[in-house]
Amino acid sequence: MSTPKDILWRLRILYVAICIFGLAILVKAFSIGVINREFWLSKKDKATIKLQPIEAIRGNVYSTDGSFLATSIPIFDIRIDFRVPYLKKIFTKEVDSLALCLSQLFPEKSKEQYKLELKKEYRNKNGYYLLKKDIRFNDLKALKQFPIFRKGRYKGGLVIEQKSRREMPFKQLASRTLGRYQAGIKPIGIEGAYNDYLAGVVGKRLMQQISGGVWKPVNDKFEIEPREGQDIVSTLDVRVQDVAQNALLQQLKLHNAKSGCVILMEVETGYVRAIANLGRTADSSYYENYNYAIGSSTEPGSTFKLASLMALFEDGLAKPTDIWDTHGGKVVFGRRIMSDSHEGGFGKINLNDAFVLSSNTAISQAVNRAYSSNPQRFIDRIKKFHLHQPLGIELSGEGAPMIKDATAKTWSGVSLPWMSIGYESQLTPLQILSFYNAVANNGRMMKPQFVEEIRSHGQSVEIFKPIVIDSAICSPATIAKVKPMLEGVVERGTASNLKNEHFKIGGKTGTAQVALGSSGYGGDSKTYQASFVGYFPADKPKYSCIVVITAPSNGIYYANLVAGPVFKEVADKVYAQSIEIQDKNSKPSLALDAPKVKNGKASDFNDLFSKMGVKTIQTEENEWVRTEVIGKSVRINDLGNGASMVPNVTGMGLRDAVFLLENSGLRVRVMGKGTVRKQSQPAGSRIIKNSQITIQLT
Amino acid sequence: MSTMKIPKIYAKGDRTIWIVVIILSVISVLAVYSATGSLAYSKQGGDTEHYMIKHLGLVVTGLFLMYFTHLANYKIFSRIGQLAIWVAFPLLAITLLGGKVNDASRWITVPLINVSFQTSDFAKLALIMYLARLLSRKQDNIKDFKESFIPLMIPIGLTCILILPENFSTAAILFVTCLIILFIGRVNLKHLFMLVAIGIIGFVLFIIVALNFDLPGRIGTWKARIENFRSGDSESNYQSEQAKIAIANGGIFGKGPGNSSQRNFLPQSYSDFIFAFIIEEYGFLGATFLMFLYLILFFRVIKMVRYSPQAFATFLAIGISLMLVFQAFINMAVAVNLFPVTGQALPLISMGGTSIWFTSISIGIILCVSRFCVKEEQGEEVAENE
Repeated sequence: MSTPKDILWRLRILYVAICIFGLAILVKAFSIGVINREFWLSKKDKATIKLQPIEAIRGNVYSTDGSFLATSIPIFDIRIDFRVPYLKKIFTKEVDSLALCLSQLFPEKSKEQYKLELKKEYRNKNGYYLLKKDIRFNDLKALKQFPIFRKGRYKGGLVIEQKSRREMPFKQLASRTLGRYQAGIKPIGIEGAYNDYLAGVVGKRLMQQISGGVWKPVNDKFEIEPREGQDIVSTLDVRVQDVAQNALLQQLKLHNAKSGCVILMEVETGYVRAIANLGRTADSSYYENYNYAIGSSTEPGSTFKLASLMALFEDGLAKPTDIWDTHGGKVVFGRRIMSDSHEGGFGKINLNDAFVLSSNTAISQAVNRAYSSNPQRFIDRIKKFHLHQPLGIELSGEGAPMIKDATAKTWSGVSLPWMSIGYESQLTPLQILSFYNAVANNGRMMKPQFVEEIRSHGQSVEIFKPIVIDSAICSPATIAKVKPMLEGVVERGTASNLKNEHFKIGGKTGTAQVALGSSGYGGDSKTYQASFVGYFPADKPKYSCIVVITAPSNGIYYANLVAGPVFKEVADKVYAQSIEIQDKNSKPSLALDAPKVKNGKASDFNDLFSKMGVKTIQTEENEWVRTEVIGKSVRINDLGNGASMVPNVTGMGLRDAVFLLENSGLRVRVMGKGTVRKQSQPAGSRIIKNSQITIQLT
Repeated sequence: MSTMKIPKIYAKGDRTIWIVVIILSVISVLAVYSATGSLAYSKQGGDTEHYMIKHLGLVVTGLFLMYFTHLANYKIFSRIGQLAIWVAFPLLAITLLGGKVNDASRWITVPLINVSFQTSDFAKLALIMYLARLLSRKQDNIKDFKESFIPLMIPIGLTCILILPENFSTAAILFVTCLIILFIGRVNLKHLFMLVAIGIIGFVLFIIVALNFDLPGRIGTWKARIENFRSGDSESNYQSEQAKIAIANGGIFGKGPGNSSQRNFLPQSYSDFIFAFIIEEYGFLGATFLMFLYLILFFRVIKMVRYSPQAFATFLAIGISLMLVFQAFINMAVAVNLFPVTGQALPLISMGGTSIWFTSISIGIILCVSRFCVKEEQGEEVAENE
């Protein structure tokens, strides 16, 4: 059969109609693309391509023992774009469950509050509603699964803005010294001083806006490659820092003092191992509000007497055995009376004891007699000790020292005796410490440093070696004369409360009257500054330390009682923790049972036990071991940690456990503190890289 | 006389249609590859071949489906149509109701093979097959209102109404296509005009209601589209404007394959607006060529049905080809802003998942019919050659 005629003509009409339709389309296309071409080309948005900065990741700051002191973490601001058309379909239906989920994740508002707020903003068609600021990645992950939000940006209206926040895992610990770097704010501390290393290089990339407002890179390459910031290894030791900060805090609270600081420095290198600064706030709590240790330049008081005596000895103008009469504790210079803090003076006393007992009268008389004809000679000698110039530390805000010349306008007849006991001049705690450190280091003055290494991706890039300011600020003979004096202060002098039987301390107390504010010495503003500066162990100095406490207000202001205990606590803890400085002769009595120790690394135990003289029984050679006390000896057993198996960390301390687990490719979550009791992945199971293991400590 | 041995061609049917389809498939893969660059970049983490490879897979399997379909005897489509229409109604109803659950109501997933498809794609094809069957059976008293017009309108109306709430443009285009098929099928023009008049009045009423009241479902989207087309307000006409910029970019000769810059700004440049994208890369000339391919396709169908063995075959081939070409031209009209934005894909060109397979099966049916038309033609051709 063939198709009937009246179907064929209909088909022809249809075909012609289709052709006309097609022609119309082509005409329209021609009119747009050829006739009106220029008009439409001019509509192209010129601003759809731009060079956008790509932030570099800021480097971390580590402590010398490898803990994070400062690190950058991503945080997010959550906003909602209620103008998204798709919300019409789901908002009313799902707002209830969204509000419930939100109230569970962020309980500061109730479900009803969330619901009310969301509904209000939805009605207002707010296109940029701030729901929550600064949330963590884990919360963001949960939030993305919420009703409405799981539809994403273009359907759910969820707007996520990423920022980066600097976190200090130890919060207050050395926070002022770690400092901060923020655009528009004066940079301080390590973050400020080493910003060039930490910041990295901001990259630039040509980005193009594509449909939906998303920016995509135009090509594969960056115009400027962003470079990750380098890591800083500071000299600070978290454990010592913690001890120092706590001891200082206790003492400040006890004496209701205005502020205080502690610095612990390694004698040989000048590396600062701990630096704590606490100031009282309006609500009587203490926090790191100012870097008193490096910034606060005040009259040093009696701690300066060391410099005075060293000047006398260096210039050959006095001997420790010279006898001076304290004249009942009162000596007149010009029209001013110099008195000893000890009522009635010390009778006739030699210079050595004058220092040990901190006699103002004896020392000021000695200095006055020696230098009154040429006071500038005294000043010049002090300058040889580098006390007149800033240390030039990398951190900003170092207080300038003030040692005036004899030609100065403010110089008077009593300047010399008063300077000799630490008045009419100003020094920062760090400057005084550096001076004492030099004495402890046999005259070799070290520049205090806060950073020992720059690292990039775990590789060492730059090491900051110890810097010598002066290899000998004085002769060895002078050092030999003053060291016994400094020890005498603790053995039988003003700081005898610091004496202990394990190790010797050399140091000097300083109780200075200082002016607070602008009203000078008179009136109510007169207050005390108690300090103690010294080093330990005195036989072979390893650390030097200064404690300065300003304005103790509970009636006690003597340095040995206010500042001394902080020094003692820091020294005790540091001494106890560092085996290498302990005297080999003072072995613990073997009558006691062998000490119980946590599980850990075999080599550590062998060092420890051999130093302590504890007998060990080791059956197998293995890196990670478990210990067992058997009477007076310790048995070291293999922990049975295979190569690709989850290691057994129970019984270990936190550091060893984390080290071992992280090295096995696991991510560690820590609960509690002390010794590991439980681990969430059993020992000996196969390691799943990057999986999380929780360890429970007691 | 020595004759050249012609290599055996396994595919039978109209060779021109085969060639047109192959050319369209090649254009499709090239255009989709170039157009999905930015989509792939943002969604697939820079794997720019991702969508092209997926699309190529669908096109190639589509060609196989086409081949297998065309091997059948066209008569079985009469029976299939009769069955399919009764499958289509419940499927449409399920998707319509199911839509209330997860808001993705246009799609349904086949349980065993785990392939999801738009039920309207299936329903369209089923309806056309069924119409061809009915029309051919009613030819004897086709002008009768009760005997022919009403029985024909029932499946059309039912299908369109079921598609309408979720996909207005598809329902409208299908309805118009069916009316044209009825016209070809010699249905009384009086009745058709009457229906069109009622339809226009109803549509105007609907628009008035929709524009003045907030209605549920996708009505809001249609409303916005109509409003945009009417008012030409620049923010919501972003798509049309970007399409025009693409067309202007292309000019007469185009920027060349892979050189589009508008693909980054033109939403749906791989689907609804692929025609504008093709003009950008291949120019006005390329677009004209593409349009001719569709016209050739339709022309070949009209030419072949002159020798069609049965009225059913005629209506089947015309109906299906009309459906494809009409949709194609609507898509092109949208791209050049002759029509409001509808969301119709360009058959055989757009990237579009399983709807490609329905298009392939449709072409397969046309080719199948052509095999039977060619058979009677062969005698003449052979005679001419001698």
